Amino acid sequence: MGRYILRRLLQAIPVLLGATLLIYAIVFALPGDPIASMYGDKRAPENVVNAMREQYHLNDPFIVQYWHYISGAFQGNFGRTFAGVEVSSIIASKFQVTLNLAFTALVMEAVIGVGLGLYAALRRGRAQDTMVLASTLVLISVPTLVTGFVLQLLLGVKLKQSTGIEFFPISGVADGLHSYLLPAFVLAGTSIAYLTRLTRTSLAETLRADYIRTAVAKGMPRRRVVGRHALRNALIPLVTYLGADLGTLMGGAVITETIFNLPGIGQELFRSVYERQQPVVVGIVTLLVLVYILANLIVDLLYAVLDPRIRYE
Amino acid sequence: MRVIKGAKLVAGTTLLALALAACGNATSTGEASGAEAVRMKIGEPQKLFSPGDTVESEGAEVMAAVFAPLVKYNDDKEVVNHVADSIKTSDNKVWTIKIKEGYKWHNGEPLIAQNYVDAWNYAANQENAQSANYFFGRVQGYADLNPGEGKTPSTKEMSGLKAVDETTFRVTLSQPFSQFGTMLGYTAFYPLPKAAFDEGTGKITDAYMKKPIGQGLFKMDAPYNKGTDQTINLSLFKDFPGDKPKFEKLQFKVYTSAETAWNDLQAGSVDIQEQLPPAAISTAKAELGERYIDQADAAIGYIGFPTIASRAYDDIRLRRAISMAIDRKTITETVFSGTRAPADDFLNPLLDGYRPGACKACVYDPDAARKLYAEANGPKTLELGSNMDNGHKEWIEAVANNLRSNLGITVNVTPFEKFQQILDELDAKKYTGMFRSGWLIDYPSPENYLTPVFSTGAIKDGSNYTGYSNPEFDELLVKGDTAATMEESLKYYQKADDLLLRDLPMIPIFYYRMNAAFSENVRGVKINLLNQVEWAQVEKVV
Repeated sequence: MGRYILRRLLQAIPVLLGATLLIYAIVFALPGDPIASMYGDKRAPENVVNAMREQYHLNDPFIVQYWHYISGAFQGNFGRTFAGVEVSSIIASKFQVTLNLAFTALVMEAVIGVGLGLYAALRRGRAQDTMVLASTLVLISVPTLVTGFVLQLLLGVKLKQSTGIEFFPISGVADGLHSYLLPAFVLAGTSIAYLTRLTRTSLAETLRADYIRTAVAKGMPRRRVVGRHALRNALIPLVTYLGADLGTLMGGAVITETIFNLPGIGQELFRSVYERQQPVVVGIVTLLVLVYILANLIVDLLYAVLDPRIRYE
Repeated sequence: MRVIKGAKLVAGTTLLALALAACGNATSTGEASGAEAVRMKIGEPQKLFSPGDTVESEGAEVMAAVFAPLVKYNDDKEVVNHVADSIKTSDNKVWTIKIKEGYKWHNGEPLIAQNYVDAWNYAANQENAQSANYFFGRVQGYADLNPGEGKTPSTKEMSGLKAVDETTFRVTLSQPFSQFGTMLGYTAFYPLPKAAFDEGTGKITDAYMKKPIGQGLFKMDAPYNKGTDQTINLSLFKDFPGDKPKFEKLQFKVYTSAETAWNDLQAGSVDIQEQLPPAAISTAKAELGERYIDQADAAIGYIGFPTIASRAYDDIRLRRAISMAIDRKTITETVFSGTRAPADDFLNPLLDGYRPGACKACVYDPDAARKLYAEANGPKTLELGSNMDNGHKEWIEAVANNLRSNLGITVNVTPFEKFQQILDELDAKKYTGMFRSGWLIDYPSPENYLTPVFSTGAIKDGSNYTGYSNPEFDELLVKGDTAATMEESLKYYQKADDLLLRDLPMIPIFYYRMNAAFSENVRGVKINLLNQVEWAQVEKVV
């Protein structure tokens, strides 16, 4: 097991290096001078632009620039933005916000999604099942942008205006976990719906399996049949989905982060691409790659926990 | 047993999530006191703070709270002394500025004339790569500090800038410039205390740029960590000698979306927002009444015609026809929901000198336009280039549609990712069509709508992208710059404006509007010509 994990982690190194090179090259290839673009509609002052290009090695060929970056990165220096701020400090603080958001969303997703799916699967074909299916369909079809603004307006503005009490903060991270509840729900929305449906189908299928019939026939209590035999087997596709979703929740939260003014990496990534802040883009994307790799590894390890037939060695 | 292990893992993950969320609690400090502060929405400042390097509006808004300018602009759009006790000149060339006594830096140092000299010399030196460097281009000795790329300046001081005594300094310009006094209210002309500079290198320290020490109404509570902090907290500086506001704490809240800030304003979680989202404009007036501000803004949007990259637009009739074919009123009302107003002069209604209806070719007249276009033998296909970020796509499409239907021609919209790209391609003659452009003044003088955008000297160093060059126009500007009184200057600038209205090197399309709002928690919010809140008049409603 330990050797397996080590091997997987070692495999990640070339992937990470490749990712940095690729992303660096892509941002490099974008048209336009990042320094001059800071001046909007005004002509960028030549002496300032020249001095800054010099300072940030922008006049060097691509491979030299990349070398500056990667050799610095190995010494723990991830570069500075064009405003002179250290990239590592930016990413550290933004990553914290996104991590909070993504994990809150993931917990909501797991609890609500699996819960609802379980509920529907056990009442298959009945009214409750149809209702769960219908409501998840609505949740899937309404875009995040809409749920975000609507919930913000209803629960954030209108509710506060009519009652005078602040139930959910609209923006920012000043209220700790409380500030993440609404955005995490919005972010998790579609995933909750998918997971509900996945749980329902997966569990319903397992419940029809021969060994379940055997368990019921030998007089095992229903709770134990569902919990121990059916759900455990039904969990494998769900864990896969959750693992893959973690990466999506982290990298794809731009809209939610913008609506709720959460200073996370989604927003930062979007802006940095726009501003051609290579060190920031590379830093964030590399980190996301790392998250994907780790999430995949954890999912693979969980398989072994769920299904004893799977062994890694 | 394995199920239990699995359960442990799941529980562990949940705990981790909760622990991480709890960490979030710890990182967000400082907003707990937000309840009694006056809170204003800003976008994230582009850079850290330094008078010579803060040239964009968000950073300038913060700087305006921390620093007090030499001059301000009153309700009648006149320049009035603020920190300056007197600003004297006899020939518009040598300016003697005396500062009032009693001003102190937030660290207790007294404000002296040398502080201005130090700050301006620093900003003007090319080695320091300060964005506001060009503001000092008119001061004698500027060239010595800017010998060009790869060369080192021979001195660190401009010969035209001298502190005469503790409270007086003298500025000698290389050419007479009547509007120099007007420039002095801008961020670039703030002073810097001794404490700003590193003793070894002579550069402004990082620590200072994070937590600038000013001589204005508010001092910063803590260093600003750009990119990570969502709020900037300030406290009233008790030793400020001028008018002070009746509240103690000021907080700038950084937002990325105007819609979110607007929701927060409605919920009472932020107090002042300077630009409302377009969707809010239609209801804001009815909802907020007195708390909604709609006033002129200093920026103008144009469509320009190239003269260097292409000769296709040389016929004035062609440019007039294009201008007359654009329905400015409908575009500003529908595409912009009233956040813009139709332009009818090259000067902006915000300032003296603006003449309503001065631009005859800005009146929508599709029939006359079509006739004139045919007379001028205009081409069957036109190119209209624009950067598509910052909401420019929609109005450019609307203009293209106007031209198509009113002139009966094909108009191709050429998308660019950023405005600088249009400039690059125009310079390289790769792009030869019409292009969108805009101008926001650096200081509130009508001259600033003319010289940097249309003078011959601005083709290379300024923002004259069309390449318009008219000796008569340049001469009128010089006459305005050297005139003895403001009224006289204005007359020459208007004459120069008349030439632009005749030649139409660009056509003005719209003026920006400032659509601001404030919450029930505050009173007396006023926004000045530089789009900055006048804090001294703001009151907090308890």
